[in-house]
Amino acid sequence: MQYKDYYAALGVARDASEEQIKQAYRKLARKYHPDVSKEPDAEAKFKEVAEAYQTLKDREKRAAYDQLGKHRPGEDFRPPPDWQQQWQGPFGEGSSFSEQVDLGDLFAHLGGGFARGAGGRAQMSMPGRDFEVAVPISIEEAYGGTHIDLDLAMPEYDEQGRLRPVPQAFRARIPKGATQGQRLRLAGKGGRGFNGGRNGDLYLDISLRPHPIYRANGHDLYLDLPLAPWEAVLGTSVEVPTPGGAVRLKVPPGTQAGQQLRLPGRGLPRPRGEAADLYAVVSIVLPREASDRERTLYRELGEASSFNPRAHLSEEGSHAH
Amino acid sequence: MRIDLTEVTWLEAETLSFDELLERSGMSIKLLQELVQAGGIEPLDPAAAQPLYGARALTAARRARRLHEDFELDASALLLVLGLLDRVAELEGRVHELQVKLPRMI
Repeated sequence: MQYKDYYAALGVARDASEEQIKQAYRKLARKYHPDVSKEPDAEAKFKEVAEAYQTLKDREKRAAYDQLGKHRPGEDFRPPPDWQQQWQGPFGEGSSFSEQVDLGDLFAHLGGGFARGAGGRAQMSMPGRDFEVAVPISIEEAYGGTHIDLDLAMPEYDEQGRLRPVPQAFRARIPKGATQGQRLRLAGKGGRGFNGGRNGDLYLDISLRPHPIYRANGHDLYLDLPLAPWEAVLGTSVEVPTPGGAVRLKVPPGTQAGQQLRLPGRGLPRPRGEAADLYAVVSIVLPREASDRERTLYRELGEASSFNPRAHLSEEGSHAH
Repeated sequence: MRIDLTEVTWLEAETLSFDELLERSGMSIKLLQELVQAGGIEPLDPAAAQPLYGARALTAARRARRLHEDFELDASALLLVLGLLDRVAELEGRVHELQVKLPRMI
């Protein structure tokens, strides 16, 4: 069995009071709870913190934990010889610790053992655990659908009703139509139920990896379309990439910066129905350096044009007086 | 050897009865009833004789169960937190939408 330092997980001393343990938990839970946290690896960190708190907040479990002695985190150890008899919990006569037992699962079940005595668990039916996994995919994969390989440690019950991680290798089909924040459910593919309990579900939380060209909002896609000033004024036809292949886009004369030119049906496919749209967001860009000839032409243009881009400023300014 | 998983369901496409929502959320019936009655978890059609619940309700119910277990929140606190988290998600969605629509280059 691998040792976990629950006091270190909560950042408290081994002689911390119950109140100090509760305060440390609250502080860390507020920081790492996956429903409220933006910290990287929040879920994994919260799991450690919650596991430590579940044991240390309970006087009996804490006493049992303390009797395991202090070891290095991750160190393989065996409980003292009399520990199992004293804290018999879920272990029946003659049963022994498996090397694979997780310390957190051991203590999670210790409470049930106190209440029901050895063997009580075996009579109960328990549903399998639901399991959620984050699945980042590319925009191209969202467009065409994909398969992903998942190597999970699924919490499952053994014959005695103890939870333990069981390695599972899945290849899951992600159908077309996935996008950021969508979830897929694989019914009954979570942890197995115990003693007739239903199997848990496997949830896949889809996220889209950042893309060098496209930005997704729901199923709509956006890309930047830089235009030279003369292209924006005179109009043009440009080739733009889309996930389904490059298309020609007609830029109408007089196109303004910030305008969005819509390419219907060129966004991501929806699970049901038509594909969403792709928008080309126009920006008007200038060459970093202008040649003498270009300067001359711009000067002539300036002299020939009556366009005042700041007319609204002088009009609004005069209204104010 | 890998197990092929092909029977996937879009959560958004599912509709659940109250009992199914209860089972899938793992919440106690009393707490779920309190949250539904107070409007923290809403059916797809509140006027329906047999209300059905969608992905949004399931996500809220599962989140409520986690917050209840991890922070020992009662129904009143859960209603407040769920409402605030919804508001945060809505605002984050708007910020994201604006960022997506803004050209990146100078």
